[in-house]
Amino acid sequence: MRARAVALATLASVSIVGIGWQLGTQAIDASQSLTASSGGTAIAATVTATTDAAAQAAVTARAAADAAAAAQAAATAATAAAASAAQAAAESGTFTGAVVQTQFGNMQVSVTVANGAIIEVTPLQLTNRGGRSVDISNQAAPILRSEVLAAQSAKVQNISGATYTSEGYLRSLQSALDTAGF
Amino acid sequence: MPTVGGDYEWMPALTFATMGTVVSLRLEDADAVDLVETVFHRWDEQFSLYREDSELSRIARGDIRLTEASQSLRACYALALHWCERTQGVFTPHRADGVIDLSGVVKALAIAEAGAALTARGSANWSINAGGDVLVSGDAGHPEWSVGIVDPSDRGELIASVPLRHPLRAVATSGSAERGEHIWTALNGDPSPFRQVSVFAADIVTADVLATAIVAGGETTLNEMTERFAIDVLAVRLDGQLLATPGLRRTV
Repeated sequence: MRARAVALATLASVSIVGIGWQLGTQAIDASQSLTASSGGTAIAATVTATTDAAAQAAVTARAAADAAAAAQAAATAATAAAASAAQAAAESGTFTGAVVQTQFGNMQVSVTVANGAIIEVTPLQLTNRGGRSVDISNQAAPILRSEVLAAQSAKVQNISGATYTSEGYLRSLQSALDTAGF
Repeated sequence: MPTVGGDYEWMPALTFATMGTVVSLRLEDADAVDLVETVFHRWDEQFSLYREDSELSRIARGDIRLTEASQSLRACYALALHWCERTQGVFTPHRADGVIDLSGVVKALAIAEAGAALTARGSANWSINAGGDVLVSGDAGHPEWSVGIVDPSDRGELIASVPLRHPLRAVATSGSAERGEHIWTALNGDPSPFRQVSVFAADIVTADVLATAIVAGGETTLNEMTERFAIDVLAVRLDGQLLATPGLRRTV
């Protein structure tokens, strides 16, 4: 009974792993560490921990708005999984969590448990609404100088470059800009 | 040669020296320059390791222990450690000899505080550029602030000019273009593949820390940070080739 409860409570944590999977590696790390420490703890504590994991996922998410929604979804998933864990009674084995719908798509994981210890976690569904694997494509790619956002001739008020010294400032473009018009 | 945006000629630049560099301000209310200068000097006096009497220098010498340090210093150190964790140790507040060096966040924190002070004063339109780290504020009725990214192989030219649009209204650039030397990575001692990295972010601390981290961590760190943070990045490889996130591509 207890092993099963722990296992299913763990599913709640693993749901968060699924969400962390989509939000970034650090979120995953945070969730996994919480997952590892949740075995053997009370279900209520697990819910708290996974909610924290959701918050952690929120902190590390790329977009704040997306992250807030994801945190809420994760907290909902954690609560639902913990509730089912409370009703559970069985031995070690492989448990498949319910499909959890989030704004990032459906999420489902299975977890294999032996004697209360997690042996394996397998993501079954980690997809976006379109059914494809999630593409977090803010990756920097090679670009021609002519492709960069604005033209060389555009008017600017500031220059960003490697930090100049007080002496270097006098030779800098920023200095030229600052004195222009006087 | 870039030119000053005509719409901002009414807002002449004001400059002062601090933290070993020069701060350039554009303010609606020129009297606010004293407010900004006070903020920068306070951070400089507390955290500069080249000032023997700074609190951080006293900690470095062992005159006072970290546990005896001011709340503000410990908060600053905690923030730097947080960024160390978020960058998997690529950004670090520790020098090779173990001394706590907070210069990686202090300039950005001073910019952020100065900006907040200007906003609190009721000023909606301003720009702060501290040694190449830029934070701007503008309300809807005003023209966009644009920033030029310097060409590391010819510091009299730009490789791009980018409008600082909400929410990415901060930019910081890291590299060693001024002397043209290799930057060594923090991870395995190889030279960085980047001569220069510019990071656009919603806040100047994120921009500054991640620019430093990406130079030190190379392409692995670049890819991790662009996935995890809401940033745009323009990186210059050693051979001069550019890497840019989609947000920096010309949209027309």
